[in-house]
Amino acid sequence: MFLADSDIQSILLTVKLASVVTVILLLLGTPIAWWLARSRSRIKGVLGAVVALPLVLPPSVLGFYLLLAMGPNGPVGQLTKTLGIGALPFTFWGLVVASVFYSLPFMVQPLQNAFESIGDRPLEVAATLGASPLDAFFTVALPLARPGFLTASILTFAHTVGEFGVVLMIGGNIPGISRVASVQIYDHVEALEYGQAHRMAAVMLIFSFLVLLALYVWRPDARKIMRRD
Amino acid sequence: MHLAMTVQKNFGAFTLSADITVSGDRIGIFGTSGSGKSTLVSMLAGLLEPDSGEIILDGVCLFSSARGIHLRPEKRRIAMVFQQHALFPHLNVRNNLLYGYKRCPAEFRTVDFDTLVAVLELEPLLHRGVTNLSGGEKQRVALGRAILANPRLLLMDEPLSALDDSLRFQIIPYLKSVSEQFGIPYLFISHSLVEMRLMTDTVLAMEKGLMTGQCSSEQLARNRMGQSSAGYINLLELSSMTERDGMCAYRWQGGELLLSAGNWETTAGLFELSSKDIILFKKHPEAISARNLLHCTVAGLFESGAKLGVEMTCGAGTLVAEIVPDAARELAIEKGSVVYAAIKASAFRRLAAATSQTRP
Repeated sequence: MFLADSDIQSILLTVKLASVVTVILLLLGTPIAWWLARSRSRIKGVLGAVVALPLVLPPSVLGFYLLLAMGPNGPVGQLTKTLGIGALPFTFWGLVVASVFYSLPFMVQPLQNAFESIGDRPLEVAATLGASPLDAFFTVALPLARPGFLTASILTFAHTVGEFGVVLMIGGNIPGISRVASVQIYDHVEALEYGQAHRMAAVMLIFSFLVLLALYVWRPDARKIMRRD
Repeated sequence: MHLAMTVQKNFGAFTLSADITVSGDRIGIFGTSGSGKSTLVSMLAGLLEPDSGEIILDGVCLFSSARGIHLRPEKRRIAMVFQQHALFPHLNVRNNLLYGYKRCPAEFRTVDFDTLVAVLELEPLLHRGVTNLSGGEKQRVALGRAILANPRLLLMDEPLSALDDSLRFQIIPYLKSVSEQFGIPYLFISHSLVEMRLMTDTVLAMEKGLMTGQCSSEQLARNRMGQSSAGYINLLELSSMTERDGMCAYRWQGGELLLSAGNWETTAGLFELSSKDIILFKKHPEAISARNLLHCTVAGLFESGAKLGVEMTCGAGTLVAEIVPDAARELAIEKGSVVYAAIKASAFRRLAAATSQTRP
């Protein structure tokens, strides 16, 4: 067989993680991006910087802080313990929480760009035609920002697939729970299983290339976002 | 429509301060760009909140800083037509038209969709996307969309300035007829005097953020004649063109005018003639090169800057010529005197074809 069962398991886990994170970030990132695009508040710059932090921080730094926060003595850990969920580190959902933070800018920034490029006018027109802000958001802003949603979703998905450092810090290396494709490759290399490492690496390479190809062919303006990031 | 609006708004270097009380269904706001016209209508529509003041439209308070009232734009029922059509690119023509209609409470829905589509001649466009419509088509759709929202007031913010001249004067009859037919009063914003005269009865003039006066659009044109390089623009409806010796002979108010050839794609239309292009003679000049010589009676004189406007009746029509006061003394021109007005055949400029002017 081309890939071992454990390899396939790690790939399926990666796809599941990336899908869950993309859906959560669509729900979470849209209002943040909307606020960043529309607000004239002074703290807009602060929030914008916070959202962009994962772009420059070493994943190990982010992972370290998240580990402390989610650990049994951290504020999030205390909260999850009180709620009866238990500690998040070294679980799939711990990985999801960490990935949401890690991939946040890849969702928010393309969406913010898309919302900003709509401008005020279509929303003003909608208002003078009797549409409430929420109505105008769903009937005007969302459809006009659709290409931005496509770009943001693809970038978020692909970026989550590609993460390694944060996963190691938060998730460790537990088969079926936190051993994603990038970690699996690392394991193969450590164990000097170069053949398997090659096959996994090839799958990742082809996948990443196809994602970027899709992005560049369908959405030429996505290149701007990639370059800026 | 009755509007009472007292508003102040500060933008740092620019302050807008307006105090308006106006009644009528065809109101104009006239001013150069940067005079604050668009800011004023944005505040009326609720898109911009004034720093202080009060806006009352037909007895309904839309804004009052003293009482803490700021009605949201979607609650005001004031629709807008913008300079750029601002159509929704993700909706086709039909759904653009219906956007405001669907959101209008049933008790206010008086404009019928099919009737409006017929008046604006939009039927062939209904299922098309909006991105590949022509400029004039887009503006007609934008107008239809605003009217179908059944607003209590329609604001038109330079709706024609993005269009070229020939198109502008084709759209004006639509703007007028739609509003009149469906009984929707409008506020028309423009920096063009000719548009003001074709579209409005009462004009509020604005300059540098302040209201500088309120008068009829005709009066405004006369007031500005002396300082305008274009003079006063006579607007003439010419009809029944016949070709004669390589020129065009048009009927005008019971008389005839000869125009240079080249403008006769259609037989009739709206033409402009500057007050500067009319030369007055006290007696019949025996031979002149100008092809039109009209026998006129002076109906009145008015001062405008350093110039004197001479209003004359020629047959059933009226023309305004401008002269310097010296000339008026030499020719002894006064109310009731008879003069000859000479106009070159090349002095006329076509604004629009008549078919659109006479459209219902």
